Amino acid sequence: MNVKFLNPFIEAAIEVIFKETGFHFQRGDLHLEKSAYISDDTTVIISLVGGVIGNVFYSMNEQSAVRLVSKMLGEPITQFNNLAQSGIAELGNVITGSASVKLSNAGFETTISPPTLLYGKGATISTLDYPRLVVPFSSDDIFFVVHLALREGNSLGQTTATLAVPERPNVQSVNR
Amino acid sequence: MNVVYLNPFLDAAHEVLKVEVQATAERGNLSIQKSALTAEEITVLISMIGDIQGVVLFGMSIKTGLEMVSRMMGQTCTEFDNLAQSGIAELGNVISGRASINLSNAGIQTNISPPTMLIGRGLQISTLDFPRIVVPLKTEMGEMTVHLALREVQPASQSHPFSNPIS
Repeated sequence: MNVKFLNPFIEAAIEVIFKETGFHFQRGDLHLEKSAYISDDTTVIISLVGGVIGNVFYSMNEQSAVRLVSKMLGEPITQFNNLAQSGIAELGNVITGSASVKLSNAGFETTISPPTLLYGKGATISTLDYPRLVVPFSSDDIFFVVHLALREGNSLGQTTATLAVPERPNVQSVNR
Repeated sequence: MNVVYLNPFLDAAHEVLKVEVQATAERGNLSIQKSALTAEEITVLISMIGDIQGVVLFGMSIKTGLEMVSRMMGQTCTEFDNLAQSGIAELGNVISGRASINLSNAGIQTNISPPTMLIGRGLQISTLDFPRIVVPLKTEMGEMTVHLALREVQPASQSHPFSNPIS
């Protein structure tokens, strides 16, 4: 896995989570894993195809997931129900989407898949011959881990030059 | 999800199972499921991106997986080790790849992601707002269940992956 794909994800994760929840997350120490990973309470899986191909996992325990979702939705959530699951999946989706925009600015035109949410501790998740770069993030007692199993792929034949420039999103600051 | 996408997968699964593991797959009854899927012992997850997007899951027991891998490799596998995992993931990859060629012949362009292997009975796999078409395929080595959670891409999300921010 190429380390140049790392920074877009780190920037995106910190930016998006700050925007969505107001939590300041900090990156922990990186490491590379080749063996399968034993899942935490919940894992969001999103695949990338295009200039960069592979899989990205966002894994966290239930407590962290519930706290992030409560802050996102602006109301206290106590159970990891459908609403909370959808919130966590959407968080993964927005982080990956934002990272893919950054990758595309760097010349790697990439499309992301819809998220899949896994719920259940202790399952074995393997990316087979893709080693994973593991990046832990923490903010006080909230933790989540990003696993990147990516490699450079064949571009879909589109370059950033041929794509329409997206409109500037109308983002308003909201007091939560 | 549109049933039109089903046959390319079934044709691909029949063909690949026949060529790779010399098995005749018999289709069981279809069903549509909206709730999260409780995983079988082995699940291969492959995402599909393009004119249609979503997730394809192949579920089976370890026993079935081992028998399929043994036939693929022409040697008896007794443990679900890295080699066997890679064999089953490759089976899912080849079926999805063949299905994406079939879809492309029907004018639907798609790309598939590398496979992810999930091992652990009882894991909940949720495709969120995508309902799944579930097709059991019966072979003499046991049952393989194919889950298709696919839908057409709305033009907006095709032009920009970050088109739907929450804030």
